[in-house]
Amino acid sequence: MMRRAALWIAVALLLGLAGAAAAHTIAGDDATFVRGIAGPAVGPFVYLGAKHMVTGYDHLLFLVGVVFFLQRLRDVVLYVSLFTLGHSLTLIGGVLGGLAVDAHLIDAVIGLSVVYKAFENLGGFREVLGIEPDTRVAVVVFGLFHGLGLATRLQDMTLSADGLVTNLLSFNLGVELGQVLALLFVVALLLRWRASAAFTRQAFAANTVLMCAGFVLTGHQLTGFALGGAP
Amino acid sequence: MTGNPGAPRVLGATLLALAAAAVVLVAFVLPAEHGLDPLGTGRLTGVLALAEPAQDALESRDAAPVTDRIRFPLQPFESVEYKYRLETGDAMVFAWRATGEVVAELHAEPDEAPEGFAESYDRSRGVSANGGYRAAFDGWHGWFWENRGAVPVTVELEASGFFTAARTYGGGRVRETALPGEAP
Repeated sequence: MMRRAALWIAVALLLGLAGAAAAHTIAGDDATFVRGIAGPAVGPFVYLGAKHMVTGYDHLLFLVGVVFFLQRLRDVVLYVSLFTLGHSLTLIGGVLGGLAVDAHLIDAVIGLSVVYKAFENLGGFREVLGIEPDTRVAVVVFGLFHGLGLATRLQDMTLSADGLVTNLLSFNLGVELGQVLALLFVVALLLRWRASAAFTRQAFAANTVLMCAGFVLTGHQLTGFALGGAP
Repeated sequence: MTGNPGAPRVLGATLLALAAAAVVLVAFVLPAEHGLDPLGTGRLTGVLALAEPAQDALESRDAAPVTDRIRFPLQPFESVEYKYRLETGDAMVFAWRATGEVVAELHAEPDEAPEGFAESYDRSRGVSANGGYRAAFDGWHGWFWENRGAVPVTVELEASGFFTAARTYGGGRVRETALPGEAP
């Protein structure tokens, strides 16, 4: 039992560190490239959107939480569509409306979204609080925050007004493609895992780890906010 | 959901997650990401170094940079080359203006390169250019200007940087050109 606990903590540590390190910025050469773009550039923005999703641990952790107990493909599609609806609204609306929130605070909320979903997966709302909030509502609401995070990041870069709508839609399309790509792996792995006898017991531990990673992300971003540095 | 684990077990898991997160955060993430090291674990494991600002934004030099101003009158179809001695990583900023359109090429000759070889960075027609430049190799770095028009023009260059010498190439010969502060 002790050994298993140690193993899980090691996994949590890795996940947490990876998540904190990735802390989804659009960085370096990509940012320089985007600054240099004037006019529509569908290909690069689709690619950047997809890359952002595939390498954005916080988005991925939340999605893992969302699909963890979904058995049917129809449910996976439904929940992911709800998440997409939420973040597309704030991504496109946020950039076009010039709405930007402190990136650290948004990312802290995204970390909390991971905690929330993991707590729900553990049965926390039902067992501890005696309530059963509608998961679909939560997924839409957190989708709104994830999109606001994306919008804030995009506006951190100097975006040319020329071709802005095309580029935004391209970026959003890329986000969806990256999300589907990542989910294919996640759902396939979960399907295999669910077939094993130990799944129920391991699922509890896995969601504890997921929650831990969410807490680390939240703490990391809140510290960044408190220190007032660049994200 | 994970069956019916019961409230104590869920609360226990939540507390465990929170505690593990606090340890990971304080011991590793704060030192590596924010440069805060309350437990000394960042220094112990070396991850604290990750939080230090990148060194390559600043490059200190012993000597002060030189500011050079020079004018070249060019008759129709006359050309001139003017280059600075820069070692790898040496930087300069520059601005040049011409009284009429000229063909200009920013290029550099590496020390090891065969005679006549030059790395070209920008070739264009115009009346002015401004920029920053960082030498990618040891060698001579500068401009070629040519007046393709029918009337005389004057090119005026102002450059500041860590160059140590200048050369003018024209009329089939190379002349060492004195920089400000240098004995001519």
